[in-house]
Amino acid sequence: MALLELKHISQSFPHAKGTLPVIEDLSFTVEKGEFIAIVGPSGCGKSTMLRIINGLMAPTSGQVLYKGRQVDGINLECALVFQSFALMPWLSVKANVELGLEARGLAPAEREKRASVYIDKVGLDGFEEAYPRELSGGMKQRVGLARALAVEPQLLLMDEPFSALDALTAITLREELLDIWQSADMPVHNIIMVTHIIEEAVELADRILVLSSGPGRLVADLKVELPRPRDRRKEGFNALTDKVFSLIEERA
Amino acid sequence: MATQPTSAKRATGILVSLLIVAIVLALFFAYRRTVHLHLLRGPQLHVSLRQLPYYAFCSLSRMTAAYVLALIFSLVYGLLAARGRAWERVMLPAIDIAQSVPVVGFFPAAIYFFVALAHGSRFGVEMAAVFLIFTSQAWNMALGVFESVRTLPTDSLEALDAFGATGWLRLRRLLLPACVPKLVYNSILSWVAGWYYLIACEIIAVGPAHYELPGLGSYLMKAADKGRTGELIAGLLTLLAIIVLMDGIVWQPLSEWAEKFRYEFAASSEPLRTFGALNVLGSVGPAVLQIFRAMGRPIIRGFRRVLAATPPFDPAKYPALQSGSRWLRIGLAAAAIFVVAMGVINGTVALLRTLMEPWPAAVHQIPLATGASLLRLIAAYALSLAWTIPCAIAASESPRFARRLAPFAEIFGSMPATALFPLIVIFVIRVTGGMNFASILLILTGMQWYVLFNLLAGVSQIPADLKEAARSFGLSRVATWRQLTLPAILPSLITGSITAWGGGWNALILSEYFVYRGTTYRVFGLGAMLDDATYQTGNGLMILLTLLSMVLVVITLNRLVWRRLYDITTDRYRIDY
Repeated sequence: MALLELKHISQSFPHAKGTLPVIEDLSFTVEKGEFIAIVGPSGCGKSTMLRIINGLMAPTSGQVLYKGRQVDGINLECALVFQSFALMPWLSVKANVELGLEARGLAPAEREKRASVYIDKVGLDGFEEAYPRELSGGMKQRVGLARALAVEPQLLLMDEPFSALDALTAITLREELLDIWQSADMPVHNIIMVTHIIEEAVELADRILVLSSGPGRLVADLKVELPRPRDRRKEGFNALTDKVFSLIEERA
Repeated sequence: MATQPTSAKRATGILVSLLIVAIVLALFFAYRRTVHLHLLRGPQLHVSLRQLPYYAFCSLSRMTAAYVLALIFSLVYGLLAARGRAWERVMLPAIDIAQSVPVVGFFPAAIYFFVALAHGSRFGVEMAAVFLIFTSQAWNMALGVFESVRTLPTDSLEALDAFGATGWLRLRRLLLPACVPKLVYNSILSWVAGWYYLIACEIIAVGPAHYELPGLGSYLMKAADKGRTGELIAGLLTLLAIIVLMDGIVWQPLSEWAEKFRYEFAASSEPLRTFGALNVLGSVGPAVLQIFRAMGRPIIRGFRRVLAATPPFDPAKYPALQSGSRWLRIGLAAAAIFVVAMGVINGTVALLRTLMEPWPAAVHQIPLATGASLLRLIAAYALSLAWTIPCAIAASESPRFARRLAPFAEIFGSMPATALFPLIVIFVIRVTGGMNFASILLILTGMQWYVLFNLLAGVSQIPADLKEAARSFGLSRVATWRQLTLPAILPSLITGSITAWGGGWNALILSEYFVYRGTTYRVFGLGAMLDDATYQTGNGLMILLTLLSMVLVVITLNRLVWRRLYDITTDRYRIDY
């Protein structure tokens, strides 16, 4: 059984003149263990789609099936990583990471233990008591990642997670994300990442879904067969990047 | 990021504040002593619908006069204070003090002062009222001007320097436009506050002070006193109509116009949308603005022509004038210092003489009365929180509720609470037969809207992604309140509370003492004591001591409680990334 199945999803928002369609008739399936990147120009509804998968938003029409069951409300087996980090500024790093654990009813001692494990994993050991405003952008996103990982989700959703960071920080974090995804002792084996950086998608993903803009439609569903670790200097990388580029440009 | 004030700076701030309080008090007594107060009776007030437009006109004129004064003052004061650190160090604490003083308490003093100036004529009371409204409007506007100029990016200042634009050009092209958004925003707030104090003045004048100041406030009071409910409601509706009309014709177009001058890219404060429900007026507003502009154009053009005709003033060309102007400056400063010094000396002598008078027995009750009033304020504050915080939480959970609440809050909030005092008092006295509950209720009306508005603004500024994060991670409702909503609105709650307490202290003076149908209803408290001393016994010492006690408590609370809470919350609960 597929992990996640989207069937004929459409989404539109109320607008000054009637409704504004954002996503139109979008269908795809995610198998277990896949790292999927969704790319597309701005306004193609890719972030909206992520929110529909998470259950933050109900689609105007269509169905989302998670492990064969229809998603109704927040899917607690997912965790979302935000572009803007979305950390509570008044909570310490530790309290931010514990946020989702508390919601899942873990005892305080257990919460603390698990939070410190994942804070270690993202390399923030020693910053447990710091506040977000005292951290750099890269460190903030590490907290965002730790917060998402701590709930040990089956499916990790990432909304442009590295777009707000400088290029060098983004490179490091991408490598770390791959390490986490590939390491056997981590519970997360499925990732859906929304991005507008095509190289990022080619570097990380098993599959790239290309969306067109206004309203968002599925243009292409590409398997990435390049061997890991991938590098833009290796053969095939640029060819694939160019291909995705031209797919987006055609429809723009 | 705001720089933390060092303790040395804070100490000078407090010192300057104390000095200002001392000077004001001294001046007040210097004048009070020399005046034998003799009020000429004004025209008799009639509670009739036919007179209502006239009273409305009187009130509106008073408001306008005070506002124009406040506008001029705020520009001059704000621009001066922004000129340099030295100016700022003296001028900002002065505003800080002026803002935290319960203005209404000084109305009796102001009446004495201005009536003396006007040699006992009715005009003195008018001036006192205008002055009081002015004091309720000017401070935040001046602060707005100061902040606008102070926060100007240095590159735009440097750009003007690079073009050699100085003086008038600099003022007209940079400084004044930079002030517009904050000045308009604060003007709207000041206008609302002004109504509150205008009505308060008129009520005090006609009530305890037994002087008729023709206006809506005195009309409402008289109507209540005579038990004419119909006329009372007509008066309230007239007031509401004026407020709504002014909003649609003047303030709404002005705030739209002011948006053009907004400097920052990301709006830090929400544009002040006023009565959204009354958009019809919004279309009238721009037309009126056009007419004003058309009328103003020839004046501006003429002004410009005169300016163009006069060669730019270059002090370097007139060495004599330069040294002369230096002597002139020294002379003026000396004269100013002399006048102030004389006032302070005279005042101190008068003050000492007042203190030498035999102290009335009631003095010993002042601490207890202060406590009683403080308890009343705390009760009213608790009541305000009890309904506004749930409201704010509901607004954060449901945008639809927030949208529905906004117009009601706007209309009720801009209705000066003082106008409802007569209605509330009559109702509560009829039901409970006493003043105790009414008094708390009156204070509540002076407090609650500040809290509500600030909380709603705070709720609207909670970032969408934080809300999404809370939902996405499956936080329960209660956990969301605890982890997100409450911490996020905490800074707004503190700001709102500070203003609310300011409003509460002002309301106190009107809330503890009420004359209705010839009977004086009063409760034991500082406000009642002050009213008693001013209108019944006329005891200067009691006025001084009650006022002093009030100011002392207000300043202590501000410094020890609110200022600290404010520092903590803005430090920890600020949303910025």
